[in-house]
Amino acid sequence: MANTETALKEALTSIEGATGVALVDYTSGMALGTMGGSKSFDLNVAAAGNTDVIRSKMRTMEHLGLKGEIEDILISLSDQYHLIRLLKGRGGNGLFLYLVLDSSRANLAMARHQLKKIEEDLEV
Amino acid sequence: MTMIETPPPLPVRDRATAQDRTAGALSPMLRRLAEDQATGVLVREHGTLHLAEGRVVHAESPHAPGLDVLLTAHGTLATAAWQRAAGQAEGPADAARLLLDARLLPEGALELCHLDALYDAGYFALSPSSTPGRFRYARAPRLGPLPSVPVIALERETLRRRLLLHRLWPDPATDSAPLIRADPAATAPVTPRQRAVLDRVDGVRSAPEIARNLGRQAFHTLVDVRRLAAAGLLGPVPTAPAPPPVPPAPPLTVTDPDIALLKRLRDALEAL
Repeated sequence: MANTETALKEALTSIEGATGVALVDYTSGMALGTMGGSKSFDLNVAAAGNTDVIRSKMRTMEHLGLKGEIEDILISLSDQYHLIRLLKGRGGNGLFLYLVLDSSRANLAMARHQLKKIEEDLEV
Repeated sequence: MTMIETPPPLPVRDRATAQDRTAGALSPMLRRLAEDQATGVLVREHGTLHLAEGRVVHAESPHAPGLDVLLTAHGTLATAAWQRAAGQAEGPADAARLLLDARLLPEGALELCHLDALYDAGYFALSPSSTPGRFRYARAPRLGPLPSVPVIALERETLRRRLLLHRLWPDPATDSAPLIRADPAATAPVTPRQRAVLDRVDGVRSAPEIARNLGRQAFHTLVDVRRLAAAGLLGPVPTAPAPPPVPPAPPLTVTDPDIALLKRLRDALEAL
């Protein structure tokens, strides 16, 4: 059983190459918790902006008639990976984990696996 | 009234320094209480904020469903379990501690639901009000197992939420008025979450009532409702135009020539 802070701390320390992590409510765009980030990378701004990414993808899936649910979304930049993982539970009261990785140090498959594990520990 | 405007700062004693410190504050009083690390309860027109050592530990608003509703509505916790805990405890924070101790509730779920409820009620508590707030100092700070948030974080989030709503659909009328479906309805696609909201629009319920009915955060429902309004699927119930003033009773002296003629005719007939 983990609380929000320990879950975020675990993500930041145990995932190789992680530079920032946030737990975000995607209806309001509010970050319920953030860790890491920097002066030049405001996780709160990233959190709010990425809710639009998820909404847009969900709408597209609906138009296409796809029944599956989004597990995660990967955005790869030239020097970073951004990994978005949607949380299940709580009756779909949408939350997502947002993880920023340094692409030169990160192992993407491993990061994805670990993030899934952290989501399960969070028990929400 | 637009939701965007912050109310003008209330007059403060120490003007020279206070003006820069409380500039842009949603509630200058709250900002001062935070700086003084005050403990107590701030009662505002649309909600109540509980402070402990200058941090917000709990918020309530008649417009936002409480922690109990958010926890029990989606099966995170059985209603009976909450009622049992609430019966034994003095307040929601104590009840939460009992549930944690009894391992009926994961810590993470409780924390997140608490933060959801706090920011949700805080949004309404900090909405522009027409009456000044009142603060009641309390002696012992009640720091329960639940996280608290700095006043500045709550203010920042509340402002961000106002802007978000304004961007979605600039008319705040749908936030509090009873809602009715648009007729003829537009054919915009809606998400399952929005469908649940739309299904409860009946010309009587307002957005906060729909939120309570669904066990969702009131602000989330405001977001859905503004998006539905922007898509032309619903709107506020039009307020009935004031009934036309009752025409004054006709004077007893009759001036209508026809009636006068008829009267003379009647009198003449009676005289026969």
